[in-house]
Amino acid sequence: MSSADPEHREEEEAPAVGDDEDTGAHVAPIVKLEEVAVTTGEEDEDAILDLKSKLYRFDKDGNQWKERGAGTVKFLKHKATGKVRLLMRQSKTLKICANHLILPTMSVQEHAGNEKSCVWHARDFADGELKDELFCIRFPSIENCKSFMETFQEVAESQKAEDEKESADAAGLIEKLSVEEKADAEKKDEEKSEDKTVEKESASGKESKAVEDKKAEEPASSA
Amino acid sequence: MALPQQHTVDYPSFKLVIVGDGGTGKTTFVKRHITGEFEKKYEPTIGVEVHPLDFHTNCGRIRFYCWDTAGQEKFGGLRDGYYIHGHCAIIMFDVTARMTYRNVATWHRDLCRVCENIPIVLCGNKVDVKNRQVKAKQVTFHRKKNLQYYEISAKSNYNFEKPFLYLAKKLAGDQGLHFVEMPALAPPDVVIDIATQQLNEEEICRAAAQPLPDDEDDLFE
Repeated sequence: MSSADPEHREEEEAPAVGDDEDTGAHVAPIVKLEEVAVTTGEEDEDAILDLKSKLYRFDKDGNQWKERGAGTVKFLKHKATGKVRLLMRQSKTLKICANHLILPTMSVQEHAGNEKSCVWHARDFADGELKDELFCIRFPSIENCKSFMETFQEVAESQKAEDEKESADAAGLIEKLSVEEKADAEKKDEEKSEDKTVEKESASGKESKAVEDKKAEEPASSA
Repeated sequence: MALPQQHTVDYPSFKLVIVGDGGTGKTTFVKRHITGEFEKKYEPTIGVEVHPLDFHTNCGRIRFYCWDTAGQEKFGGLRDGYYIHGHCAIIMFDVTARMTYRNVATWHRDLCRVCENIPIVLCGNKVDVKNRQVKAKQVTFHRKKNLQYYEISAKSNYNFEKPFLYLAKKLAGDQGLHFVEMPALAPPDVVIDIATQQLNEEEICRAAAQPLPDDEDDLFE
């Protein structure tokens, strides 16, 4: 009897719960859910950086950093527009911690006390509305942090170039359209009005000159 | 004390009751999910605080209304009155405080008097702490009472999504249900003028000097 007791206790203790084991009672479901198509919002984008990290936001009232989430940060380049955004998702729940464009005006700098971390400002859209945020991100290694900072700066620089290129591309696109058949004459007229819009948008003299040059080329191609 | 007002949403929502001794980490756990923050300071919850918590699944969006109840008796308010019409529950104990596990039976009894046959998850919190008092093998209550058990850490986020995923599966009667990406809307274009940019840069410098809240020891999963 005395030997049976410890053995019994040991037996009771032994089975640790496995994650997949369901020890819960059977309960009747209270909702019927149908499977739906999953849209991540990233379908039209290519990932140019994908790293594990932990994100913080600066709480101005408390003058302190607060955790926002741990998971994966990505730079996503839109296939059509070429715009790049930073998107961070929390592990497991896959909720969004940060979602904002990388703008030409943005820059990132090292956190003073931690060489695996860096800091930047963004107008964040994670919650579906724009909010000014100061973000700090921390990486498992110094190398990953450097990689993030370099990519961030490269993207910001490229967005500057992209903005300028965008106007030129639009002009080039118009030139292509002008070569099309007479049947598209109406569309051509619409594009011409867009051309004027582009011309207005590009404030710099260089841009307007570039457009003028291409217009000058048109008679030659039509001839 | 008026009960919290809840606006309805056009996707499935559930009342989730969270009970357990004071200091076991109920509020910290909920807050971790809502804001991502880890709250170190202990402030006893008075009565109840209700927080909506959404998840995106392969079967669409769902919401848990998390009824984070007082664990300390003196702040209990309506006590088990908060359990009425609960669809599911979490009983939280602290693996570093043996008494909180012993009291699980009482929480379970009181809960079941009000909510019959609802899915319940038992959570052993603070498993990140080295000197735990309640070992995994010693936790047996869930088998006797047909609860699910998860060891969790609100600090390290270990298993922190599992209680919600388990409950969602049970409520939907779908073992294949899983969390999927929250749709990432395209952020609108932003124009920042030079004055604002300079102000931001000054703020960045000041903030960059403030220490990060957690230890360097934190492991990345």
